[in-house]
Amino acid sequence: MRLKNNLKYVVTPAKIFMTVLILLFAVLIVQGIIIATEDIFTETKRRQTKTKPKEEATKEEKQVSRIRYSGKKILPDGTIHLIYRPERKPGRVDEPEMVQIYDVNDNLLWEGPSTRNPYRYLTWAGRLNSYRRDFTQQRMRQLQMITPELSRTLEVPVQSEQQVIQIWRYNPAKNYFIGYDTDGKKIGYIGSTGFTNSIIETKSLGKFRSFTAWCPQDSFSPTLLWQTQRCIYQINFEKQKVELLFESTDSDIETMSVHAWRDIAPGKEGSADYEKYRPLIHCVTADNKHYLIMRKPEQKLTVSVPKNWDSRFIGFTATMKSIFLQRYESERIPPKEYYKSPKLLRKWLQDHQGKPIKTAVELYKANNQGKLELLNRYDWTVPALPERVVEARDFRAPATRFVSKFSPPLYDWAWYFVGIRFWTQVYQRSDFAHGFARMLADIRPSSSIINWLLSAMMIGFTFWHGWPRRTSWPKFLFWLAFVGIFNLAGLLTYLALNHTTVIKCPACSRSRGLTKVNCIRCGVELPAPKRGKLDLIFNS
Amino acid sequence: MRFWTLLRKEFRESLPWLILAAIVFFCFGGYCLRTFANFGELNRYFPYFPRLSPGSIVEPYQLTHNSPLQMTGVWLSLTSIGLGLSLGIRQFWVPHFTRTWPFLLHRSANRKTILAAKLTTAMLVFVISLGTLWVCLYWYANRPELFTIPQTARVFIEGWIFIALGLIAYLGTALSGLSTAKWYTTRIFGLAFATVIIIVTFAQWRLAWAFVVIALGVLILLSQIIDLFLNREF
Repeated sequence: MRLKNNLKYVVTPAKIFMTVLILLFAVLIVQGIIIATEDIFTETKRRQTKTKPKEEATKEEKQVSRIRYSGKKILPDGTIHLIYRPERKPGRVDEPEMVQIYDVNDNLLWEGPSTRNPYRYLTWAGRLNSYRRDFTQQRMRQLQMITPELSRTLEVPVQSEQQVIQIWRYNPAKNYFIGYDTDGKKIGYIGSTGFTNSIIETKSLGKFRSFTAWCPQDSFSPTLLWQTQRCIYQINFEKQKVELLFESTDSDIETMSVHAWRDIAPGKEGSADYEKYRPLIHCVTADNKHYLIMRKPEQKLTVSVPKNWDSRFIGFTATMKSIFLQRYESERIPPKEYYKSPKLLRKWLQDHQGKPIKTAVELYKANNQGKLELLNRYDWTVPALPERVVEARDFRAPATRFVSKFSPPLYDWAWYFVGIRFWTQVYQRSDFAHGFARMLADIRPSSSIINWLLSAMMIGFTFWHGWPRRTSWPKFLFWLAFVGIFNLAGLLTYLALNHTTVIKCPACSRSRGLTKVNCIRCGVELPAPKRGKLDLIFNS
Repeated sequence: MRFWTLLRKEFRESLPWLILAAIVFFCFGGYCLRTFANFGELNRYFPYFPRLSPGSIVEPYQLTHNSPLQMTGVWLSLTSIGLGLSLGIRQFWVPHFTRTWPFLLHRSANRKTILAAKLTTAMLVFVISLGTLWVCLYWYANRPELFTIPQTARVFIEGWIFIALGLIAYLGTALSGLSTAKWYTTRIFGLAFATVIIIVTFAQWRLAWAFVVIALGVLILLSQIIDLFLNREF
């Protein structure tokens, strides 16, 4: 009896949770089907629509377009060139790619196949975030996903020319490597304290962020550049050596870029001119500080960059003579703080729609104290894009807008109250989380008035349905609020869990539910069944 | 005493499914493991590492590897969910179809004991048929003469998560079987919820979160099963 009584406190919430979860999924599936169907029809319609022939551009328009689509490259002496690649003739893939090189005054300097370009421009540190070449935190999580095929592991081999000699397996829970020889015996551990024979002496490398791997020119075994939350290590498994290259004491490392650091054979992908460039690692921390780690000779430098510069559009390179910074600037790119508020971001985009955009590329030279000196700057204006200014608050496709009216207002609250920062982190967490965040962004009602009206109508229906069936005021009010919060899924949940038969009250002739003994209107008890001739049990 | 009698009765009824699940998992899971091991012997030591050339960038995906128990894991998850469905149907649907519920409930044992016997049997069946075999196959895969480096402890735990997912499928089937609602209304919700739990568990990368999801699923399904079984009319 006690179990029965106690169980009701668990069973009712469990039942509601289970039902609403399933119905949210069901509504979501139907919404997804409608959106996908519209996508298919729109795509077919778009393909069937004939494109209008373009009007012939004037000479000035062609020049502006050429400047816009030209790559802006910089020579080691600071000169800026514009590299324009004319469109290839369709179907002629056998022809070499042609380039036209202009100076900043729009004088043609050289024209010919790109492979014969006489100029050698500066190359810049590349960020470790490409899907194929680098390995980020998100990829590490994918390895650990609990799939039916079980999780995967990260294993680094130490190889001779002929065969594998050792295997170093990464332990993501402890953040260190465990080494095995060909007999399967443990040979040691690699952590932040370097190579150790004992697990007690091994210390964690720190929370993993990204890595890149390469085989040096004198080795068949990979060397790893390993970025954690606060540190950057270089791990040579063959020599069992761990080198701490950088440690940020104040804030987390956000991005890491490398240039000429990896010892790649000339001509192979990722190689650099090692006689001209110094090996360089550029990392940006969460407090927007830029650190450079260089070799030949060893040097660490903190570069003072103005706070309003967006670190995504800054690149560094270090030649044997100087350290350069390249910066791209455009009115089209909203400042970082605008990403924190969807309203601000929308306002920024609307303010800049249909207007010419001032754009510039700048070259700076950094001295040994990390101070910057402007060497050159090139400005150009991107003409106003031929796009109409959309005044609508909602930029989503019509079907998406329509189905979002039936989404719970709860999605909006989750979107706004949990914060945009949380959702950007969710995006990076896993593919499932990424899909979930995208789905939420797509089908949230966006504070639509129609959504609120629909919710109000559903509350009204619940009131009409629940009034004769109500057993207690708190329960009745709970269901009204529940339907308001969950919209269609809430109404379906209410109906699934509260549908009881109603009868006409013999006293007041109005409908009443069968779950309560007393009539909610007149207070008369439910009528007792009439005694039949064959009844064996009589109430005295 | 009555509990043990009921347990024996339930166990006897579930025995064919226990044996069938064990045979399927042992044959197919074991065969996949053995095939992987044979491939390893042919290629000596570390068959799955590509030759890396000096002075080149290494694709990170060349360094990621599946466990040799990979296909065994697939068979374990399939067999576990299949066993969960079969046991759920055998214990909660068949008495309904054959109209034998009154015979069971009118024994001199209360409903709590009857339900406890059913649930204990289900758990025993999972542990005996799949749990012990999984432990054996994991131990076999860890023998140094079979694979050079041992399997991770994480893989072993993931196997137990798959077995727990079978239990979720069993509880979902049981709840649907006990429900008195119509098929096109809420009766299917038990199975639907079990499916949601299985999908959400497969989307986790943290073992702790996977266990939290499973525990939540068990709590929600089990509480409703107990409530329904103790209160409904058969």
